[in-house]
Amino acid sequence: MANIAAQRIKREFKEVIKSEEVAKCAIKLELVDNNYTELKGEIAGPPDTPYEGGNFVLEIKVPETYPFNPPKVRFITKIWHPNISSVTGAICLDILKDQWAAAMTLRTVLLSLQALLSAAEPDDPQDAVVARQYKENLDMFKLTARHWTNAYAGGPSVNSECDDKIKRLVDMGIEEHQARVALSSYNWDLERATEQLFS
Amino acid sequence: MLRYILSFLRIIATKMLQLLSSRKHLIENVLRIYIKTTSGSTLSIEIDPKYDIKQIKNLVASKIGAQPEELKIIFAGKELGDNIIIEECDLGQQSILHAVKIKRNVPTDQSSSKMKPLCEILDDEMFSSNITNSRSNSFSTDNEVINISNSVMLENSTIRSKKIHFYVYCPTCKDLKQGKLRVRCHFCKSGAFTVHADPQNWIHVLEPKQITGTCENNPELCKDILQNKEPTFAEFYFKCSEHISLGETDQAVPLDLIRPNLKQIQCMACLDTSDTIFAFPCPDDHVMCLDCFKQYCLTKLTERQFWQHPEYGYTLACPTGCPDSFIKEIHHFRLLDDENYNRYHHFAAEEFVLQSNGLLCPQPGCGMGILAEPECTRISCQNCKYVFCRHCRQGFHIGECDVVENNDTAGQNFSCESDMNYNNGNSGELASRTTIKIMTKPCPSCKTPTERDGGCMHMICTRAGCKFHWCWVCQTEWTTECMGDHWFG
Repeated sequence: MANIAAQRIKREFKEVIKSEEVAKCAIKLELVDNNYTELKGEIAGPPDTPYEGGNFVLEIKVPETYPFNPPKVRFITKIWHPNISSVTGAICLDILKDQWAAAMTLRTVLLSLQALLSAAEPDDPQDAVVARQYKENLDMFKLTARHWTNAYAGGPSVNSECDDKIKRLVDMGIEEHQARVALSSYNWDLERATEQLFS
Repeated sequence: MLRYILSFLRIIATKMLQLLSSRKHLIENVLRIYIKTTSGSTLSIEIDPKYDIKQIKNLVASKIGAQPEELKIIFAGKELGDNIIIEECDLGQQSILHAVKIKRNVPTDQSSSKMKPLCEILDDEMFSSNITNSRSNSFSTDNEVINISNSVMLENSTIRSKKIHFYVYCPTCKDLKQGKLRVRCHFCKSGAFTVHADPQNWIHVLEPKQITGTCENNPELCKDILQNKEPTFAEFYFKCSEHISLGETDQAVPLDLIRPNLKQIQCMACLDTSDTIFAFPCPDDHVMCLDCFKQYCLTKLTERQFWQHPEYGYTLACPTGCPDSFIKEIHHFRLLDDENYNRYHHFAAEEFVLQSNGLLCPQPGCGMGILAEPECTRISCQNCKYVFCRHCRQGFHIGECDVVENNDTAGQNFSCESDMNYNNGNSGELASRTTIKIMTKPCPSCKTPTERDGGCMHMICTRAGCKFHWCWVCQTEWTTECMGDHWFG
């Protein structure tokens, strides 16, 4: 019975591989193990968003009860987004929770996540810090998200001001990611970030 | 020498076996059926399935002292024409035919499709649409009864030849089986009943008083009862095709959502196309193969995601979330194995108690449903005599409940899936109780023990009947303060 999940994933995998989105390099799907319980997804940052040019890797775990329950999906690539935890990569998306329906597929999940990158829902956030920044200082949010895309997802946009500030904290002995989180959380205010890190 | 004798014996043995099996073959070709007459007597006759109705009439006529022309033979709501072969009639061993003496000798049109057995007239196409889709129509036209003028449909149906497939849950075989549709009088329950029109869909068959007919058993009696206020109605029921009929009370439950896959629709779960499908009662043709349907039921049962429907009972809807797609006939869940069907009953009873604002005894192995006055905090279980506090489900106490985790193991662990595995006196029980105590927190609304296996502090009760939003930290309703304060701990 349990191989309903495996059989279904096998078919979905083929569907994704043949899809036009893969042809356009917008999404990608790879198998992690050969019993179809774990996969690696990849989505391209949508154009005209701070994520443009980045590639975001996802961990996809298929429960035994798939497709009656949703796959467990999280971002492996670190990302600055109101609906995605900057710490764990956990995603707040209704279709991955109670709005999941058995007719949905890995392809629809990947496309929905891509859509989520284009249109955040700050009123139903997964990351409260990011959500606050998004609502209070949208430009600062965009700058930060773009910087994270550059740092973790291979995005093209380099922001030397951000890099300099991180370097100064790293020089003080702070780990690079930790420094980036602190600066991002305090709207790149070096003084406040330093204060928080050393308090 | 010994070898010679042995081989000789073997030859004899095989010969005897062949002889036996050929004789068995002969016996199998004899159909033992019963003929019920209007006088109330029952004849038992042995016939060849190749016999036609004319031959049956001759046989019966000689036994009851009547002329063959005076008789009509009724089966499953239809008078059978003389040229119908028994084989075509969907009869089984020990099936019952009804012989009725005609008072006035009116010549009947033997070529009419009216004289064909029901199983030859119905086909799967007619029964492939969903009862719920068309139900709204059926309610609005409640009094509109299919009558004899509906003969156009009858003409059409003769063109089709594919045999109909009905699926039933047979309480004798305890399994999903193919079923046979039978007809009797709605009032006197006699099978000597002919329909005025053939059923065209599931509503005609499942809903009462849809199709009129003539009761041949005792037309005067049925008319008297009704005082001619309304016509005589047919009642449809089902029998299992796979065991010898155990008499007129041997019935099976029709599983109307299990159907042959006429449109070759893919299973929404495994994406295979199988011959027999479960069709959800939704307009979008969502179907599952039977294996996936079983898995769907099992998954939702284990997660307590069945819904207590006010009319249908503890049931499921289409997994794609189609509106009004609840499964009406809950015998479909008989597809679960015995153990899980028992769990289904158990959970349904619990859900019923909870929705009636009742409580479940928290003692392991008990789980008794208790309906107590809402203001009463001292709850006493009639079954295991445990006396506990309504709010914290700990042993009864005076004063505030102790919400701080303590080491009192007489804790709460009701309605957890694992409680099916509890045995009184099992040494693992204490360990399970302790685990549940450590790993879970009760939903503040319905007290269902809930485990948090990652993610944020925003909990949604997993019990389908509850769905309460609560905070893992505060153990109260989820608020924006929780969101700002300790969303991620």
